[in-house]
Amino acid sequence: MAIVTFSLKDFASDGLDADTLTEVIPKIGMEVEAISGEEIAIDITPNRPDMLDFVGLVRAIRLFLNKRSPKEKEYVIPANPETEITVTKRVKGIRPFIAGLSARGVDLSGEKLKYLINFTEKLSDTYGRKRAKFSMGIYDLDKIVGPLTYDAADDGKFIPLGFDKEMGFSEILKTHPKGLAYGSVVSGRRTKHGMIPFLRCMEGILSLVPITNSEGTKVTTDTRNIFVDITGTSATTVMQVVNMVACSLMDSGATVSPCRIKYEDKEVVSPQLSSMEVQIKHSHIAKTLGVDIDLNGALSLAMRAGYFSAKYGNAILVYVPPYRMDVLNEQDVIEDIAISYGYDKIQAIPVIGFSDGLAEDSKEFANRASLHMIGIGFSEAINTYLTNEKTNFDNMRRKYDKNDVVSVAYSKTENITVLRTSVLPGLLRSLGYSSHERMPQRLFEYGSVFRVDKSKLAESAHLAFVSEHSKAYFSEAKSVMMSILEHLDITDYEIKAFEDPAFIEGRCAQVLSKGKHIAVFGELHPAVLSNFGLEEPTIGGEITLIDKIDYKF
Amino acid sequence: MHPYEAKLLKALGGASASSLDELGKKLDMGKDPMLWAIENLSKQGAIKVERRKEYAATLTEEGSRDLEIFPEEELVRSLLKSGGRAEIKSIRNGIGFIWAKKLGWVAVSGDSISLTDEGADVARGSKQFPHKTLLASISKDPSIASERVASHDEQFDSLVKRKLIVVKERQVIDSIAITEAGKRMLAAPSDESNLINSVSRDVITGRKWETQGFKPYDPNEEAEPVYPARLHPMHEMIDQVRDIWLDMGFIEVSGPIIESAFWNFDTLFSPQDHPTRDMHDTFFLSNPSQIDIDNIALLNRVRAMHKKGWGGQWREELARKALLRTHTTSVSAHYMKKLSKELESSYPIKIFSVGKVFRNETIDFKHVAELYQADGIIIGNNLTLANLKYVLTRFYSKLGLKTLFKPSYFPFVEPGLEVYHYDEQRKSFIELGGGGIIRKEITKAMGTSKSILAWGLGVDRLMFNFMDLNSLMDMYKNEVDWLRKRKGLKL
Repeated sequence: MAIVTFSLKDFASDGLDADTLTEVIPKIGMEVEAISGEEIAIDITPNRPDMLDFVGLVRAIRLFLNKRSPKEKEYVIPANPETEITVTKRVKGIRPFIAGLSARGVDLSGEKLKYLINFTEKLSDTYGRKRAKFSMGIYDLDKIVGPLTYDAADDGKFIPLGFDKEMGFSEILKTHPKGLAYGSVVSGRRTKHGMIPFLRCMEGILSLVPITNSEGTKVTTDTRNIFVDITGTSATTVMQVVNMVACSLMDSGATVSPCRIKYEDKEVVSPQLSSMEVQIKHSHIAKTLGVDIDLNGALSLAMRAGYFSAKYGNAILVYVPPYRMDVLNEQDVIEDIAISYGYDKIQAIPVIGFSDGLAEDSKEFANRASLHMIGIGFSEAINTYLTNEKTNFDNMRRKYDKNDVVSVAYSKTENITVLRTSVLPGLLRSLGYSSHERMPQRLFEYGSVFRVDKSKLAESAHLAFVSEHSKAYFSEAKSVMMSILEHLDITDYEIKAFEDPAFIEGRCAQVLSKGKHIAVFGELHPAVLSNFGLEEPTIGGEITLIDKIDYKF
Repeated sequence: MHPYEAKLLKALGGASASSLDELGKKLDMGKDPMLWAIENLSKQGAIKVERRKEYAATLTEEGSRDLEIFPEEELVRSLLKSGGRAEIKSIRNGIGFIWAKKLGWVAVSGDSISLTDEGADVARGSKQFPHKTLLASISKDPSIASERVASHDEQFDSLVKRKLIVVKERQVIDSIAITEAGKRMLAAPSDESNLINSVSRDVITGRKWETQGFKPYDPNEEAEPVYPARLHPMHEMIDQVRDIWLDMGFIEVSGPIIESAFWNFDTLFSPQDHPTRDMHDTFFLSNPSQIDIDNIALLNRVRAMHKKGWGGQWREELARKALLRTHTTSVSAHYMKKLSKELESSYPIKIFSVGKVFRNETIDFKHVAELYQADGIIIGNNLTLANLKYVLTRFYSKLGLKTLFKPSYFPFVEPGLEVYHYDEQRKSFIELGGGGIIRKEITKAMGTSKSILAWGLGVDRLMFNFMDLNSLMDMYKNEVDWLRKRKGLKL
């Protein structure tokens, strides 16, 4: 999701006030994040990058409100390219594709320049994956001399945007704010190819792709004629984006002319403002939405969603406007018909067909174990699965092999590194938070623990308990463990003295079932207690109730 | 020990015996409480009480009359008037005659009687009449009876015999002395130590309540609070959610939290370069870093789906990346595949799962890295957006929440929606979850021609509706006092 901010007053010329916007924007699937003073902040879903643009947003709202309707062949431009870009083979493998257009009579006065810049930034940031997938450059068309070349080189010099002196490519990467922010997009490849892509005309470099434009071709609020380029890793995407930009410029009154792109092996012209046709069978609308809408009604609803539509037998034929990048098939159009119809107007209809509810055995078992613990006076705790080696192992004085522990590759939060292998540490940590409260303190937790067992993942269900008070002795641990075994019908077991560094030597035991270690219990070692900030004697235990959880798909 | 008893023992403290009168003066206590305390203390052996008999005489009706003049007095006076002699048969005052004769006031000779000297003295009033004096004294002070009884006084006895007075006997406390046991009780730290404090087995089987009182308690005294051991509130919330889905005829399933990107993203049509697939949003694993994809046919279909839908290339090694699932929709994905070839009669199939999902977040009071989500799918024929609205509306109505729907976008559904609740208190819309109809591209790849409704709902955020909670983090700290004192869910 991306949040865009616009001045409320800019909507006024289209007859849209704050109340209308607040009402309509959720209805077309977006969200008003905030209205504060003169501004409105709107959350745009990633399927509709066209609405990141002020022009595109207003277009969608006006269509929805029937203040505008789509026309057949709405976006038409001259066939002859006004500009030309030659693509060298050096950009292949770095950022091979480019699309462009020129526009005359563009109005960038007032907030409009800011909106255009914000739009390109947001679009490159979100849909363009922080410029990795594509990025966009806007130049003063009148400053461009002669045909353009999309090329790549080890180094070169030009005056980057916002600076007053020439800088080398590597200097820009190291010192220019945009170089620092986006240099990695191509510099990773640079090490491989040793080159950075750039766009130049006869006069010099227009932009270092996808980092910064040149100061010389800078666009101001007075600029009326612009050139736009989109570079990226996918031919389809750069074309879709340039189409979207073309529609936006045309809607705001500019005249758009195409650009010829001369690749080594082929030539293409951008933008390509043809409309994809999608056929929607009438019956499919009711089958998808559960609402009966007659064919004419469906047609006008599709129109309100911006599709120029026509009846086609017992179906409607819609033309997907070139600014839409998200329409894959009929389903997408039916959603737009539903949006025009109004989600709130769709009447809820029960699903026909009887079925019995059925709880999962493992959940019922967990509840049975939990209620037993409640019954013997232990309160339930729920700890996070994510933890760190210090809590899970070091504080428990337990050794571990990294290879056996499920670890996360990267965490934004420092103390999250692994998935827990034991439930006890979390319980002891919880007691640590409560050391000033009334004793005795008794907690239990039933939950999953994780390990890598011979390079296979294993998830087990454990039940652990702790009891902290001045008379917490081994016998209590044993009593609790015995009551668990008894209640859960574990009958075939033996108890043996055990060594676990988390417990006091000689005051720790294990439970073996059919010769297999299933549980440990005893008096927790004072060193462990002080690691968790506990000051009273504490007993505890942990039993494996399901050794390997098997999800049956 | 009862406060009255304590007061009394304390007054007796000085060892030597005290009379009741003395005690009464010392103690500012009513007579009844004092006697009650004496009784109890005596039973407990704390004091020794000496008692004696005391007599009181009261005049009968006849006695009151005789206080004026005795019959024998009357007789001798009338004899004196008639010259000291009279015929026996003329005497009407028979009782007077008998007693006068007994007292030697008259002498009998033949048929007549005559006044003796003593009788004449009595008649003239020159000699005291001791019976009359005694009777007069008794009328003024009944207690003089005691000494007369003790000395077996003849005159007193005769008054009794003549039924001029009646004598009543009673036990009175002569003296009270504190015993050794009493001194110990007095010295004991608690003034009330001899009252039963805790009811013990001894008290019950030894019938101690018959001889000992119970220490009275003040009902307004502080009592120690009792807290139950209970389920974690999130467990209660999850069970509530589970119960509703079960009520609505759904089958519960679950799946692993450690998934391949394939099941978490690729099968759900999430493009491989989608921002959520960045390590800044998702927890990818370094051990294990890869999870194998067993189903090659499915893998190829998913590859084809991506290539057609998103263009560009689709890389298997990205799909094999191991991660912590970002939504329980991964479980739904497994079941879309598993349930793709069921008997026609078993549709619609409704399943749900509740489980943990993970977000690579910077943890603060608002954000946690682990959340609970409830996912569901219905697989069937021609399932519609109207059906989905029904299912979600019904689910939330069972939680008492009114819902609103708006269009939204998720890569795996089309049409897609978000469900909201309007929070009256906060005057804002709370997003509850999202859902939609699974894209045809996906159902095709999964091998089914059925339609699938799918949704994923946040469970943690519901906690804010049903509990006073400042931060989700608070919930997972498990502070014992918080677990003890928390209020129940306001369901």
